[in-house]
Amino acid sequence: MTHRRSQNLVGYLFMLPYGAVFLTFIVLPFVVSLVLSFLEYDLTSRHPATFIGFRNFREALFEDRFFWKAVGATFQYVALMIPAQLVLAMLLALGMNAMTRGKQTVRALLFMPGLLSIAVTAILWQWFYNEEFGLFNHLLKLVHLPGVPWLSNLHVAMPSVVLMTLWWTVGGSAAVLLTGLQQIPAQITEAAALDGANGWRGFWMITLPMLKPVLLFMVVMNTIGGFQMFTQSLLLTTGGPEMATRGVVQLIYDTAFGDFRLGYGAAISWLLFIMIAGFSFLQFRIIRRFSE
Amino acid sequence: MGIKGSLLFLLLTSLGLAWVRSDRVVPGEKHVVELSYWNGFTGPDGRTMLQMVRQFNRENPDVQITMQRIAWATYYNKLMVAGIGGRGPEIFVMPSAMLPQMYRAGFIDEITDVYGPGGALKAQFDPKLIKIVDVGTDHEELIGLPLDVHAQGMYCNGAMLKEAGFVNADGSPRPPKNREEFLAAASAMRKDTDGDGQPDLWGFGYGQWDRNFMSLVPQFGGRLLDEKGEPVLDDPGDVQALQFLADLYLKYHLAPPPEAGVAGWVGFRQQKVGMVFDGVYMLGDLKRLEGHPYIGAPMPQIGPYPGTLADSHILCVRKGLPPDQRAGAEKLIRFISDHSIIWAEAGQIPARKDVRETEAFKKMQVQYAFSQQLDYVMYPPRTPLFGELNAQIVLAVESAIRGRATPIDALRQANRDYKRYLDRDRADNLVSSEVK
Repeated sequence: MTHRRSQNLVGYLFMLPYGAVFLTFIVLPFVVSLVLSFLEYDLTSRHPATFIGFRNFREALFEDRFFWKAVGATFQYVALMIPAQLVLAMLLALGMNAMTRGKQTVRALLFMPGLLSIAVTAILWQWFYNEEFGLFNHLLKLVHLPGVPWLSNLHVAMPSVVLMTLWWTVGGSAAVLLTGLQQIPAQITEAAALDGANGWRGFWMITLPMLKPVLLFMVVMNTIGGFQMFTQSLLLTTGGPEMATRGVVQLIYDTAFGDFRLGYGAAISWLLFIMIAGFSFLQFRIIRRFSE
Repeated sequence: MGIKGSLLFLLLTSLGLAWVRSDRVVPGEKHVVELSYWNGFTGPDGRTMLQMVRQFNRENPDVQITMQRIAWATYYNKLMVAGIGGRGPEIFVMPSAMLPQMYRAGFIDEITDVYGPGGALKAQFDPKLIKIVDVGTDHEELIGLPLDVHAQGMYCNGAMLKEAGFVNADGSPRPPKNREEFLAAASAMRKDTDGDGQPDLWGFGYGQWDRNFMSLVPQFGGRLLDEKGEPVLDDPGDVQALQFLADLYLKYHLAPPPEAGVAGWVGFRQQKVGMVFDGVYMLGDLKRLEGHPYIGAPMPQIGPYPGTLADSHILCVRKGLPPDQRAGAEKLIRFISDHSIIWAEAGQIPARKDVRETEAFKKMQVQYAFSQQLDYVMYPPRTPLFGELNAQIVLAVESAIRGRATPIDALRQANRDYKRYLDRDRADNLVSSEVK
């Protein structure tokens, strides 16, 4: 065996464990879910799974009002979450970048909530949001303001879910942006400053364009994550009130593991996949054009 | 210790553990049947059930049970997947509402023998319950043994009732028994104690909306499905039941707004709500509160008929068990049923009449009061799509109570949605969705 061949073999051997896991837990479920989406496969049925073509997709798109309700909730979450996270993370990153002392401490403190699991975070925030004993309503009461029905009001519940998610994730996003800011060569900002591009103008003309690759990455990844919103609403509101916070992933979970309709659940999963792929593609196109 | 030493230690430990755990049968040693028993009793009732299982294990050294408690929220899908895959527990608990769906999946066995020779034990159960577990077509085939009947009823704050003037001659609080008394009591209990113009003590608080609604449905002669299994959620009786429930907040202002955290059970625990409709199983939660003056009572008769909702935990056995496991499973089921007075302590009404007639049971105030409704309780309808039906009911009740839809519109929408699920299910199964 030549040296080159043996090197290749070693490389493949190193890849083998991950490759096996990837094939088993990513590729195989991907293919199985595609097949399932064309089947009527109800775990409680005594009949075998039957091929029904696109009927599951038709049901979701044209007959199931709960599918569209879940799509609406998902879009509402994404529309609230992504801009809020970007703006807040950017402000925090700019603040930390400008700091001369204590930058590491602040970054660590901001990053800390992200170290908690989402389940712990949701349980913690359930108590913050508790209308009777919760921290937030207690603080409001101290300043003689009425309590807020954080999780049980139709119009407040989703913003409450977003607020919790922001607390949990914004530190990580700010850290990524801070790294991006630190990568901008000092001579560029100094040259711009000499030319009079200070403050807002410097941010708009220099900082933001230089951060575009990082921003593109963040927007796409956060959008994908936003479309997959599940645990926070499941634990905080169980999708209520009146299913106002039940996203598409929770609908998939309820359909497949509550109603045991695996075929229909798989079809909704593929519709979600198409939505995410479409949005990611659009974002790439828009931001690339913006970058040029 | 070097790497080789560590590996050797690990190997020996694993072998040792495997040897200890293995189900080997040594000649001359008595064979012990090991069985797994799943249920969703994760609250204080779980401790009571565990106590019963431990007692069984002590008294039956030839059968050893391992009990697994799983929260109801994930219990059904874990049981379903395990059951279909043939890896399910040998014994499990199934609420009667979910029994048709699980039975249709094909992993629940019939256990008619558990009822004894000639089915003698059947006489101890409400015939409506026996009908729920009977899936036979030409002859009786019972797929479970009812353990309890968890009826919905009314919890009252005795001190608030007394203050509202509802007192018996002996000085004990007197729960309201009909619509007029209920509204009068709730109205008298509602108070603004801090003078901010808003009530902070309420007469009534909504509990679980679907169950509150279903408890009132039989009182107005309503029903959820007709005799053919078709949904009739827009039945006039159902509409009247929902109208009353919504009026408690929207018209009479006796309940806190649906948004308010003081609503329902939490408010009742905090003694800010005087009356709630809830299940007998909530007693375990109240028992933990010191000094709470709660009492249990049957549901007040709001409509023209007495009525409430009840469900039952059914003890079931997995299909395809070898004879020794099957015998062990049946032994446990009979043991739990025979000792269901212990189970009653956890906040349940035993399904067996002979247990309910004991003096020990009659001394359990809340359980006994709730059990007075058993002659007229409504059990959930037999449908393999109960989850879907219940989800529609929750949505309808929620939107009506919030005033976002009239009761009739909300129930019509729920009826349409459930009908769609039912039609799809029937088409897919090419037969009636009815179990029998």
